Amino acid sequence: MIELKGVTVKSGSFVLPNISFQILSGEYAVLMGTSGRGKTTLLESICGLRRVAEGQVLIHGRDVTRWSPADREIGYVPQDLALFPKLSVLEHLEFALRLRKLSREVVTERTRELSEVLGIGHLLSRSIAGLSGGEAQRVALGRALSFRPSVLLLDEPLSALDESTRYEMHELLRRVKQTTGVTTLHVTHSVSEAESLADRCFWLAADGIQERPLSQIC
Amino acid sequence: MDAKNPRRSRRASDALFFLVMGGISATFILLIVLLLVADVMFTSPSEFYRALAKPEIRAALQLTLFSCTVAAILSVWVGTPLGYLLSRYSFRGRWVIDTLVDIPIVLPPLVLGLSLLILFHQPIAGWQLESALRDGLGFPVTYRWPAVVLAQFSVACAFSVRTMRVTFDQMNPRAEEVARTLGCTRGQAFWRIALPQASRGIVTAFTIAWARALGEFGPIMVFAGTTRMRTEVLSTSVFLELSIGNLDAAVAVSLLMVMLAVVVLVVLRVLGTGLNS
Amino acid sequence: MNRMAWVLLGSVAVVGALLLLMNDAASDKSLLDKQGNKTEPLLLFCAASNRGVMESIRTEYEREFNRSIQIQYGGSQSLLSSIEVSETGDLYLPADDSYIELGRKKRLLSEVLPLATMRGVVAVRRGNPKGVHAFADLKRKDLRVVQSSPDSSAIGKLTRELLSERNLWAGLEGATATFRTTVTDVANDLVVGSADAGIVYDAVLKSYPDLESIELAELDGLVSHVSLSVLAGSKQPQAALHFARFVAARDRGLKNYSAHGFQVVNGDVWSEVPELSIFAGSMLRPAIEESLVDFEKREGVRVTRVYNGCGILVAQMKAGQHPDAYFACDREFMKQVPDLFPKPVDVSTNQLVILVQKGNPLGIESLRDLGKKGVRVGVGHEKQCAMGWLTQNTIRQAGLQSEVMENVTVQTPTGDMLVNQLRAGSLDAAVAYLSNAAGAADYLDAIRIQGLSCSVATQPFAVAEDSPHTQLAERLFLKLCSAESQEIFLDEGFQWQDPKPSDRN
Repeated sequence: MIELKGVTVKSGSFVLPNISFQILSGEYAVLMGTSGRGKTTLLESICGLRRVAEGQVLIHGRDVTRWSPADREIGYVPQDLALFPKLSVLEHLEFALRLRKLSREVVTERTRELSEVLGIGHLLSRSIAGLSGGEAQRVALGRALSFRPSVLLLDEPLSALDESTRYEMHELLRRVKQTTGVTTLHVTHSVSEAESLADRCFWLAADGIQERPLSQIC
Repeated sequence: MDAKNPRRSRRASDALFFLVMGGISATFILLIVLLLVADVMFTSPSEFYRALAKPEIRAALQLTLFSCTVAAILSVWVGTPLGYLLSRYSFRGRWVIDTLVDIPIVLPPLVLGLSLLILFHQPIAGWQLESALRDGLGFPVTYRWPAVVLAQFSVACAFSVRTMRVTFDQMNPRAEEVARTLGCTRGQAFWRIALPQASRGIVTAFTIAWARALGEFGPIMVFAGTTRMRTEVLSTSVFLELSIGNLDAAVAVSLLMVMLAVVVLVVLRVLGTGLNS
Repeated sequence: MNRMAWVLLGSVAVVGALLLLMNDAASDKSLLDKQGNKTEPLLLFCAASNRGVMESIRTEYEREFNRSIQIQYGGSQSLLSSIEVSETGDLYLPADDSYIELGRKKRLLSEVLPLATMRGVVAVRRGNPKGVHAFADLKRKDLRVVQSSPDSSAIGKLTRELLSERNLWAGLEGATATFRTTVTDVANDLVVGSADAGIVYDAVLKSYPDLESIELAELDGLVSHVSLSVLAGSKQPQAALHFARFVAARDRGLKNYSAHGFQVVNGDVWSEVPELSIFAGSMLRPAIEESLVDFEKREGVRVTRVYNGCGILVAQMKAGQHPDAYFACDREFMKQVPDLFPKPVDVSTNQLVILVQKGNPLGIESLRDLGKKGVRVGVGHEKQCAMGWLTQNTIRQAGLQSEVMENVTVQTPTGDMLVNQLRAGSLDAAVAYLSNAAGAADYLDAIRIQGLSCSVATQPFAVAEDSPHTQLAERLFLKLCSAESQEIFLDEGFQWQDPKPSDRN
């Protein structure tokens, strides 16, 4: 469960004022709003990469406002994916697991599982240099999900992809949602994505965040 | 209109472009080549070997190689974390640190040397750095080889910090941020994600630091002195030979330095590309 | 990630290895001196222009004496600054004496040993291709003239001073293409061809076989001195002076200087522990003895003193004994040996007084009272000491010679003997020096002699012309003129004459 209470974030002259909302466990929420309204800033605040000036961030009822990102157990896929240039696909999937010092068997099993779900088994030994948009997207997703986070944040994951790949990714995300039940906050511009994936829909404007009913899609 | 004309005029314009750009670039390359040729013509192979045979030149060569390498390695050790901090974190006094780091670059070399000398000998409340090191640790600095390394390091590190900062500036900080969400501490993110990407920058920083240390002269003269067989490095050898009128020997040592620099630069370049293959 | 760790580890290993290697190469190989004591190296700050000659002297010294000399070469000015800041080092050899002056002003230097002189000459390329024969040639348009800067080099400064006096500076300055920092830069310019004529030291030309010198009358008198000085802050002054004396010795270091084209001064003959002999009037003993002991210790030399009445000393000298220095009680007794000591300098004065028993039982108030019946008077022997000679002049000047001499029971060669006899009670009064009184104030009283000019003795000091240790003797003289020595003189009852040591030249 993700909850924000009166969160205000300052970034230079830009201010996200007084954001409050709640996403229940297992829900797939979509966040929309015109560009430059700080949707990325909001995601960063939830994962702890940006300091919150006022208010509280709660994950599963725990106040994580002052916690470091490493402790929050949140999976994050930024807009530019930010894959690790020097690591192979396999190393990406293993990254979070090896950090947690899990045993060889656990790591191997988990990465096998992930690569199956994401359909990237054939890419494991590749470096990330030559991957296509869709392939890279899947690796980023796999990396974020590898340690079974309870929360997943996606920042416009599909905007750089072509039509057919996007459609595949819709399928994938739905599959992930079904198999893992992870609480997701998905930032997008696309109405079709919202229609396709969202349980709930939020709109970020200058004065704050508002929920919009699904029927009245943004 | 003749369809050929625009094509031909564009080709001519391209030719002009290369001529102008190439011409301007060539003047500098030509200047360097001419300088080297002039030096070579001034001396002779026998003079060159005679200079190399002198034990003090040999000692200077050895000390130069050792001290420049140590100074360059230390510069990278210090420059990498400092460059990283300056790149990734903006804090209140950052512009102050930025300015301070650049000071050794803009300071006239003799001033740097003098300042080092004063630092080690200025009594502060009855305590003096040089005597504390010499008597307390048995490690005298002034006019000894550590002073050479320190003088070289002071300047080389400034360049190293600059290089590493630019390296980290050009690196996407998002990767480190994602690493932190995956469970990395800041240190782990630096070590596992940022540093491997910086390998090319590190080689560049080492190269620049080494080259700068090689050319260091003023601070070494004032702070480390120019004792034969002890603190004489190749750059001060040139000065000393010049000051007693041994122009031949001075040019010979200069050419030795050029050769040394070329060898090291080539080696580092090969290493650098090797790292990335 | 593993690779980074290896690289880091590797770099640590490399740094560690190199540091050890550099430390190894620099470790002080312990040298033992003749007594088997470990010797510390001496640190000499030497002008770069003297490198050639200094290295040759150094090799010889290290071979002969097992003490290593570390030499820092650099520009005279920056070396001086280094000395000032680091307060280390033992010796300083600048390009010329103007820096010695600077160093003295900053109280950084103590003893100065003159080594050589250099003349300023015009230098051109061998064969004089541009045909420079006269001073006017230097102003030719087709000739490029360079000089050392008058602000940063001594030869430049001297040239400017000398030529300004002769009203020739402005013309030369206008014709000078550029001013270089040091005299070697000027020489290098001539070799490379970027200049045709320059003013350099003749000694510098020795290392430039491609250049030759042109002597011009207009530059006559352009002379610089090269001296080696011991640093006031040296922790091993005796060792430093040992080396300095070696460099300044005419049969050691100065030979190297001569071979390198310098005109050397008349240096001392080398000796491991030189023996200096000084003849001094016995009344000077309390004033100079302490200074002599200090001098011996600092220089590591032996000073043989002979104290006696000046008359006796002069007789010894006439009989063939030649001390290196002579400190006489009065000018009269210096005048008697002019060929040995042609240039004496007055150092102090002493006053004759009448010494009596404590309490002055006989109520003696002036010389006249010495003529009173029953007074037993002691005086110095006229022939044996200055004191006696002065006494005679004084009582003669007072018109009391016959009266006083009637009462004279004893004539001694020194004032100390008179003092002893007074103490013993065999004399009632004596005519001696104020300094004798100063030493015996507990049991004697002194009565001033007023108004008689002959009663004042002036003590001159002189160094022997033919001494093999003139430089050392000069330094002894400087020691005697120092502030501490002056104080001792004043305490002992002398008056100071403020001799200027430069009077000696």
